[in-house]
Amino acid sequence: MILMTILTGLLAGALSGLLGIGGGAVLVPMMVLVLGISQHSAQGISLLVIVPTALTGVWHFHKQHLIDYRMAAYLAAGAAIGILISANFVQFIPGVILKKFFGVFVLFIGARMIFSKTQKE
Amino acid sequence: MTELPVKLLSVGFLAGIMGGLLGIGGGIILVPAMISWFAVKQHNAHAISLAVIIPTGIIGGLTYGSHGNIDLTVTLYLIIGSVLGAILGARLATKLPATHLKKIFGIMLLVVGLRMVIG
Repeated sequence: MILMTILTGLLAGALSGLLGIGGGAVLVPMMVLVLGISQHSAQGISLLVIVPTALTGVWHFHKQHLIDYRMAAYLAAGAAIGILISANFVQFIPGVILKKFFGVFVLFIGARMIFSKTQKE
Repeated sequence: MTELPVKLLSVGFLAGIMGGLLGIGGGIILVPAMISWFAVKQHNAHAISLAVIIPTGIIGGLTYGSHGNIDLTVTLYLIIGSVLGAILGARLATKLPATHLKKIFGIMLLVVGLRMVIG
């Protein structure tokens, strides 16, 4: 179980780095479908797991002076209020419905990945 | 740049709402919004988004935890794995052509998404 969990994290981390998508989009389905964790727990754990990865990214970008901290502060202030509301609200949504809701999100990400033209630069 | 703080706060708020509902960082909203509404370059948008995700993830995770929805042991092992995975992914990204990979994993995500919606 320990090995399986670490491997799940490894795969999710590698995939999100490779594909340029957020860790949560890969992590949550893997926790639910591979590790058998409940939808609510998977989403909560996902929020904590993406923090250290984001930290390493921020450190890297900070050194390249790519971060506008004033902008980040305003966005983060809004996001902090938003997540305080929704993370409390979501606890009252049944897991079955939450899972379907997440499924729709995954479908959207998948479709976007298939149909996106070779972007960047 | 003199963007309206109110606009930034609103975009952040929306990203936070989605982040809490789905257990994600909210980069999916932050990055495109910064690029199209605040004329931020892709690279900078990605960097700022990561900075925003740190406090958001911590607050969201703690909120889930306060409702008993965090398993710290699983969290720890996943963190170990995902940090190593992120380093690996970043190395591989410079070597592998992302276009085909994206199509393949896009299809996989469609299957996973369908399973979550139907199953």
